[in-house]
Amino acid sequence: MSTLIVISILAIVVLYLGLFKAKQALLPISVLGLVAALALAIMEWNSNAAPIFSGMMHFDNFAVAFSSICIITTILVFLLSKNYFEKISDNVAEYYTLILFALSGIIVMVSYHNLSMLFVGLEIMSVSLYILAGIKRKDFASNEAALKYFLMGAFSTGFLLFGIALIYGASKSFDLAVIAQYVIDRPTGIDPIFYVGLVLMIVGLCFKVGAAPFHFWTPDVYEGAPTLITAFMSTVVKIAGFAAFLRLFSICFAPLQDFWMPTLLVITILTLFVGNITALYQTNFKRMLAFSSISHAGYMLFAIVALGAASTNAIFIYAAAYAVSSITAFAVLMLVKAKTGSENFEDFNGLAKSNPFLAFALTVAMLSFAGIPLTAGFIGKFFVFNAALAQYHTWLVAIAVVNAIIGVFYYFKVIVAMYFKDNQTKQIATPAYFNFVLGVSLIITLVLGIYPSFITNLF
Amino acid sequence: MSLFYVVAFLSIIFALLVIFTKNPVHSVLYLIATFFTFTIHYIILNAQFLAVVNFIVYMGAIMVLFLFVLMLMNLNTDTEPMKSTLLKVVGAIAGGCLLVTLVGSMKTLSSASTTAMDNTGIGLVENLGKVLFSDFLLPFELSSILLLAAMVGAVLLAKKDNKTA
Repeated sequence: MSTLIVISILAIVVLYLGLFKAKQALLPISVLGLVAALALAIMEWNSNAAPIFSGMMHFDNFAVAFSSICIITTILVFLLSKNYFEKISDNVAEYYTLILFALSGIIVMVSYHNLSMLFVGLEIMSVSLYILAGIKRKDFASNEAALKYFLMGAFSTGFLLFGIALIYGASKSFDLAVIAQYVIDRPTGIDPIFYVGLVLMIVGLCFKVGAAPFHFWTPDVYEGAPTLITAFMSTVVKIAGFAAFLRLFSICFAPLQDFWMPTLLVITILTLFVGNITALYQTNFKRMLAFSSISHAGYMLFAIVALGAASTNAIFIYAAAYAVSSITAFAVLMLVKAKTGSENFEDFNGLAKSNPFLAFALTVAMLSFAGIPLTAGFIGKFFVFNAALAQYHTWLVAIAVVNAIIGVFYYFKVIVAMYFKDNQTKQIATPAYFNFVLGVSLIITLVLGIYPSFITNLF
Repeated sequence: MSLFYVVAFLSIIFALLVIFTKNPVHSVLYLIATFFTFTIHYIILNAQFLAVVNFIVYMGAIMVLFLFVLMLMNLNTDTEPMKSTLLKVVGAIAGGCLLVTLVGSMKTLSSASTTAMDNTGIGLVENLGKVLFSDFLLPFELSSILLLAAMVGAVLLAKKDNKTA
């Protein structure tokens, strides 16, 4: 709760700083505030919190873990934002504010204990993002991204809300504990309307995390939005979506696994194939990352399909690995784009000679995406597959491994471009902030890959 | 009960007219009529607050907005883009599937339970206010962040910017 209060107040403080033209103070204060919020979140660890505000919010270890990872990723995104928003517009403070508002919505999404809170949190996050996607007002792609995201998002919210309403109609409560009790009390004879609500909620949530066949907005929105916002969307927002998904299913719908598992299974397989095979044909690095984010959503859905005690841990590790690698990829992309003006694979040619550190960081990130051992991505995939194997989804894991191999192809495209193709380019000047973020991401990726027991035994 | 059937019949008729009229302005006017019948439904169900909100917000504000946009865009049958037959078929199948699922679940539902409400006055403004400011205080307060974010965004996107991006 204190985390949520700090982030909300921080957003308003930043808004006022913009009013008083204190531009230099925006970034330090935002980062300091987030560090404070992070500290407050971690202090709640193992405090055995009970649901507060008449069962609206439950800041348990699950919430602490996922809010921490979201806050840390947001701090990394903020560090990359130095001098980024200034290029777009004069109203820099508002952008920070909107990101912070989105983050406060995300905190609600990972700690809700009532479906009304889920809805409010999801809306706070989405509304902020619709605006952030369109902040390049003169840019056609950005406008398209914002409009597309808004229409699709509003549509998916409708599904989610309809689902919540039907579940309320059957169980007579929004409270997760009451709904869970409703399911447990009725081994047979649950209202059919409850099942319809459940399916509609799956549709709504799959829209938000960008799983096939509800992924059509993802590539255009990710490509059109400003790169920094794309980095935020594909990391923090996606993790929050999965946390909300997992929280709902593990608390409420776990006993109904026989009913929803086949549906999610089909969605997972479809997501993996659509994401990976389409990514193969991309020439634009940013669009490739968008499709790869779809395929990673597929891997994370695995842990929900094989819902069990290990699921939380699996998703947490996967999300952590995916977040740091994505941040690295987008950071390098921002630097390359600032220099060459486009974001195709050819722009990365010869990067290893001109900027060895950038090339190395991006290589490690790509290896982590592909799931090569000694990187965090491998550990993430290992735990996700392990969770699936524990429930004897052998052939599902086989399909996923095939997809992982397809993934290696397109992730190596950029590595090949950087190391084996020549291009007479001058060195790209990397600001200190970027080096810091890249260094931190690199260290996290390698440390988690080599010594994963830091976070594997959290839950 | 007979009042319910009359109003329900009218809602369905008006809802169908919304889809089947060619002129978009007529469509919107029928939509207003549909919403008005919904308001009557809410009053029959003893849900004062919903009735008032539906009347003011949907029938009033949103519909005016709709009409305004339609008139600004000057839509008529000529400018309306033609949708391909394939798209129509796909839409019909998808919508039909959802309808079948919903109807199927409603059918089994009716035989299962006819629950009486514990408190018939639950939709009155007074009771709603009590619930909103006690049990649902946190989501209620959090909505302020949502509104503030939307407000900041609206100003941000609409305000004139000196810099060209």
